[in-house]
Amino acid sequence: MEEPPPRTAATSVCDSSPLAVSLCDSAPLLWRVGDLRSVRAQGLVGALLGALPRTPRQNVRLGRPLLLLPEEERLLTERHVTPPTAPSTDNQDGGVELQVQQYQEAQQRSYEEQSVLALEDRKSALLRAMTSSPTESGDESLQRRLVALESSFSFPRSAMAVQLSTARAGLSYCADARDFLRADWPIRAQDEPRRAARYQVFRDLRGRGFYLTSAGKFGGDFLVYPGDPLRFHAHFIAVCVSLDESLSLLDILAVSRLGSNVKKTVLLCSPGTDGRVAYTSLQWSGMV
Amino acid sequence: DRPIIGPGSLPSELFAARSRSHKIPVRGQKDFFPNDSDEQRQRLEQSLNEHWSLISEERVEKLGNLVKATWIPSEQIVELQSPAGKFWQTMGFSAKGKQFLLPEEALYLMECGNVQVFYRDLPLSIQDGYEKFLSSSTVSLQQYQVFGHLKRLGYVVHRFHPSSEPSSYARQLNLPQCRDRAGRQLKRKRSASEEEEKRPESHLTMSPETSSTQTATASSAHKGGGRTWWMTDVLRDRPDQRPASRTSRWDFSSIPFPDLGSQKCLSSCLASPDPSLLPGSLAVGVCDIALWTRKINLREVKMSSKEQKREEDKRRRRWDVNKDREVQQCTNWAEYRKLLARRQGKRKGRPEHLWDREVTPLHDPRQPIPTGELLDKISVIESTHLLEGASRLKGSDDWRICFNVYQPDSVADFKKSNPGKPYSRMCVCSFDGPVPDLRAIKLLSFQSGDIPVVFAVVDHGDISFYTFKDFQLPTDVYP
Repeated sequence: MEEPPPRTAATSVCDSSPLAVSLCDSAPLLWRVGDLRSVRAQGLVGALLGALPRTPRQNVRLGRPLLLLPEEERLLTERHVTPPTAPSTDNQDGGVELQVQQYQEAQQRSYEEQSVLALEDRKSALLRAMTSSPTESGDESLQRRLVALESSFSFPRSAMAVQLSTARAGLSYCADARDFLRADWPIRAQDEPRRAARYQVFRDLRGRGFYLTSAGKFGGDFLVYPGDPLRFHAHFIAVCVSLDESLSLLDILAVSRLGSNVKKTVLLCSPGTDGRVAYTSLQWSGMV
Repeated sequence: DRPIIGPGSLPSELFAARSRSHKIPVRGQKDFFPNDSDEQRQRLEQSLNEHWSLISEERVEKLGNLVKATWIPSEQIVELQSPAGKFWQTMGFSAKGKQFLLPEEALYLMECGNVQVFYRDLPLSIQDGYEKFLSSSTVSLQQYQVFGHLKRLGYVVHRFHPSSEPSSYARQLNLPQCRDRAGRQLKRKRSASEEEEKRPESHLTMSPETSSTQTATASSAHKGGGRTWWMTDVLRDRPDQRPASRTSRWDFSSIPFPDLGSQKCLSSCLASPDPSLLPGSLAVGVCDIALWTRKINLREVKMSSKEQKREEDKRRRRWDVNKDREVQQCTNWAEYRKLLARRQGKRKGRPEHLWDREVTPLHDPRQPIPTGELLDKISVIESTHLLEGASRLKGSDDWRICFNVYQPDSVADFKKSNPGKPYSRMCVCSFDGPVPDLRAIKLLSFQSGDIPVVFAVVDHGDISFYTFKDFQLPTDVYP
């Protein structure tokens, strides 16, 4: 096992406000940037699922929401960062009417402000055009032009800039949805000991300072990074095996071959009864 | 250009966003191992800052560029309030004089910043869209991930409906397909009436088949014999028709017809027939058959093994076994039986040590056989093709095709009313679940017809695509 990476200063700082975990189709998602930052600060990477607002039609870089691994979600729960169930504020009719009114008023204000800004923008553009080009008349014609602009200027409603928010404003959790998480998370397809083994390995490696992401397409459980995945390549493919499980040689060969093809070391991880995890690395070497 | 952070941006920020860059910064080279160097720390900080600024940026669009729509939860669809944009060529459907989008299409367009969906007069955030539009009854989160991934690459993605896929028979007949996206979506609640609508359609495809078989059986019955119920029908229709069986005044067993090919007919002419057999006062003379015998192939027909055996038995009955010298040499029954077995083996080229045991040779070398067939005989593994037996399989809930995918370069000419053949069909699953077994692959391939089925395996943020191709081992011999 290589030396764990040096800890950076801000790793274990938890945000004072609880995380807003939203459930979509029983998957735990994070929407607020503050929550994403706080989770990253704890060394949890997650996976971005949404289109990136700046360039929505590409798959290289995705945007919010952030999907948490079941192990990440469990770790956050253990650290008491996820909030207890809170009542949903969704179904209050009186509240909705007020919200609509507030929204429409805010839109109107925004429109008015933007109209002013647009006019000023045009004025300064006109100024730049007039002063840059050498013209005969001086301030008088400029003043006339500015007055004409002001009277004829119109800012149509359709030109107003509007924001399509990513995260929902305010806090509203769905009370019963939290219970669904326990039952319907896809990893339920695996048996309970397997899930527990995965979690133990995850917690141990995270505790040693490694960053972990999912490694399904590498034939393993986790990809293990020595530092933040934004800056470093993964070193290991972690495969969780229980200590008393017998592995066929063909499986070991298959996973080793896979590892050597992608230049990563395969790590067989077996949680023991004493809470420690035994690690066995596989490396393809010659007959030297 | 300052990034916009937070859900409630100032109008000034929104205004400034109009001149925002649309480029994403290129990611630099990664390091291999973390050390405590300042350089690394700086690079990490820069990467992270870049990351956060991209992630926190909000979608800002001019109101005029946004298509307005409303979410209708009872129908699980989105109704457009303002005219659709360019996306209408490949997405959405019309019904009752209005334009609609499926929930996954609406959510994708929200993420692209093309559509603003309202519910109860308030705009939905992307988060609201994910939570309201995605569920196991519409499109699951994993399915939406695949949908979005493919849409962002430029593919046209539509939901797959097994009932609207033509059967292989209908495809053979090249029947025009009924493209009824609207009816399917809006009548989801009244599923019973939907079934009734489908039945008359299926009757149309079935009738050519049944009517042709009907005419076939009618004609065969007409020829005589056949099934009794058709017989009675035929009789009812044609009461004047004579019954099939009837006694004849001719006894054909007593009237020999000349066998020109037999060896006995050595004379070159036939005697004249019995005048009592001839009609009226017709007189027939002797017939010269030399011309006919020349035309007939007089070569002896080889007898089949059964016929040969019969001839042999006949011969054997006439022949006295005691006169045989080898038989006389036998001193007891056991020796005699051994003699018989040896003779049997020799006669047929089938030595007893090979043919009289439990395990016999696969093929008698004296029997002619084409090489291809012989290879089939000696093959241990039988070749099969993927769709063999697939039509007998019943559907299951575990594995189903979700989407039809059409290629990006067909977008310009794409017509929703006639999309043509898809490029592939998607089945969404995850690495947590089982690998599709042969049964699932057969079932899905059969449902898909001649379009390849692709498995989109979702692993949190990642999607991998796999497909199984039918493959026949080449045979080196062509018969």
